[in-house]
Amino acid sequence: MYGRGLRTLSIATVAVMAIALGLVFFYAPLEAEQGFLQKIFYVHVPLAIVSLCGFVAGGLMAIQHLRTRDPRWDMRSYVTIHMSLIFAVATLITGSIWAKGSWGHWWVWSEPTLVSFLIVFLLYATYQPLRFAIEDPELQSRYASVFAIVAGAFVPLNFLAVRLSTEYLHPRVLGSSSNLPAKMQLTFLVSLLGIALLYLTLCKYELTAKHTRAQLRALRRTLVGEGDPSYRRSRSAVPSL
Amino acid sequence: MFAFVLTDTPALPLHTAGKYVAGAYVVLFAIVLIYVAIMAVRLSRIERELGDLLKRSERSAEAQSPPPERESTLA
Repeated sequence: MYGRGLRTLSIATVAVMAIALGLVFFYAPLEAEQGFLQKIFYVHVPLAIVSLCGFVAGGLMAIQHLRTRDPRWDMRSYVTIHMSLIFAVATLITGSIWAKGSWGHWWVWSEPTLVSFLIVFLLYATYQPLRFAIEDPELQSRYASVFAIVAGAFVPLNFLAVRLSTEYLHPRVLGSSSNLPAKMQLTFLVSLLGIALLYLTLCKYELTAKHTRAQLRALRRTLVGEGDPSYRRSRSAVPSL
Repeated sequence: MFAFVLTDTPALPLHTAGKYVAGAYVVLFAIVLIYVAIMAVRLSRIERELGDLLKRSERSAEAQSPPPERESTLA
């Protein structure tokens, strides 16, 4: 079910990522102030945008779960948030590397964009432990959905708050203050598309794997019966289908 | 198109900034690589479990099927 179109998506991801890398290193001009270091921008900013959008999407899927009580929506929300967390880790690491190269420090606490992203990351870092803490699968999925909705609403609010703050140390990419040259803009958009496709592909892989595992468990239950010790579901943060 | 891209290519100044840029891109590829490795482990687990189930179903099918008829040896 989830595996449909996975091959096409994977090929498209590899192709777009390859084009993006080519554009980053052989097409986009060097930035006047930062020079070659600015190339980090084409990986760091798309990672941040995709992970934040993923958190919001997880919240929307959680709304759908609470509306329909369909466990598949809970699984989608879980996988989306899980993948966004991985992308957020990559964002923080690439951001730190950029900060070290640009400002000479791995982390700058006075910079609102960095700190607000860290707050969002730490908030979502509690999602898995929250799920794991609740043993009843039904209750677990419901509480996790409520968390995903509240946290998902916090993400755009947090983004707006940072935008409205007066300290503008961090370079702006989107919006009226963006003044990227056309070549850089094209490279950035292709990189964003590549990272978004990578995110979608990995989410689809994860969903396919989880769905296959659930089907295997159902098959074992049919063939062996519930008495089999290997069948018994141990306590887990992963939603049950 | 390719010629145009290559003629317009800026040189890659791999001086002090090079290590930071390389580091950032390596992080992305390392994460994808780790993910692929995790997926490979999961896939092998699923394969093992499927093999186990197949063996079980073959055993139960053998147990349920009637024993083959003996040919009469009496002349």
